[in-house]
Amino acid sequence: MAELFIQSAVRITSDQVWVDGEKISIKKEEEVSWLTNIYRNLDIQYPKFFKMDNLCKAGFLAAEMLMGKSGLEPTEEKRDWSVLLFNRSSSLDNDQSYQQTIADSANYFPSPAVFVYTLSNIVTGEIAIRNKIMGESCSYIMDNFDADILYETGLIGLSEGKGIDHLLIGWVEFLDDTCDVLLFHVTKEKNGKTICPWNNVGIKKFFL
Amino acid sequence: MDSLIQELKEEIIQSLNLEDMKPEDIDANAPLFGEGLGLDSIDALELIVLMERNYGIKLNNANEGKEIFKSIQVMADYISKNRTK
Repeated sequence: MAELFIQSAVRITSDQVWVDGEKISIKKEEEVSWLTNIYRNLDIQYPKFFKMDNLCKAGFLAAEMLMGKSGLEPTEEKRDWSVLLFNRSSSLDNDQSYQQTIADSANYFPSPAVFVYTLSNIVTGEIAIRNKIMGESCSYIMDNFDADILYETGLIGLSEGKGIDHLLIGWVEFLDDTCDVLLFHVTKEKNGKTICPWNNVGIKKFFL
Repeated sequence: MDSLIQELKEEIIQSLNLEDMKPEDIDANAPLFGEGLGLDSIDALELIVLMERNYGIKLNNANEGKEIFKSIQVMADYISKNRTK
């Protein structure tokens, strides 16, 4: 069985951020959301971030931190990268926001900008667009975070995905102000940046 | 007209999630699409909703929208002449 390697791991919860298991200090401004605070701490310029729903913002931020560690520029085309994501609630957080725009027949103004995020796989697209990732992207729903399924899917993604050498794979969940993200950069090749092997133990280690 | 322009700037920032922008950053005569504010096709749909929700103006013709959404100044002129609320 092929052996894969974790190059870096980003964990985002509703009040903490860890990169490779190390807690990151986030300077907070009271008037903006937790995810916007993380965005501002990363010191990036991507105005489209503010148009995204919370699920996309959470996945986007985790991917930004992983890609920053990879040393690759977002503008660099990445034909051998793929994005595979899991979560429990699909796009329900944003679906609820959209439902509010159509709930009152006397005030019925469906929002196109909210509607475009009523699919869980939009987050894979946002990450791929930002980073010019050309490989396959997929999002799956499962009951709860499951390291075994994540491991198996990573294995299939890299061993059977032709021409794919890098995966952004993990759990990106956001519902009702609760953020639960664990995203990995996984590769076929071990190198100086490798932090541990891709296996059940390695995955669970970063689910802080 | 100045108060309508200010109102439109604030409403556009809120409706289109231009979170890092303030009303004073927006030139009322600058193009809304392309070079100016850099809005996209989804923003155009959101502006159509805004026109109906806030001012009772229903736009049915896409070409009409192209003219009306040239700039905030053009939008304000059109709204002041056609608003029903």
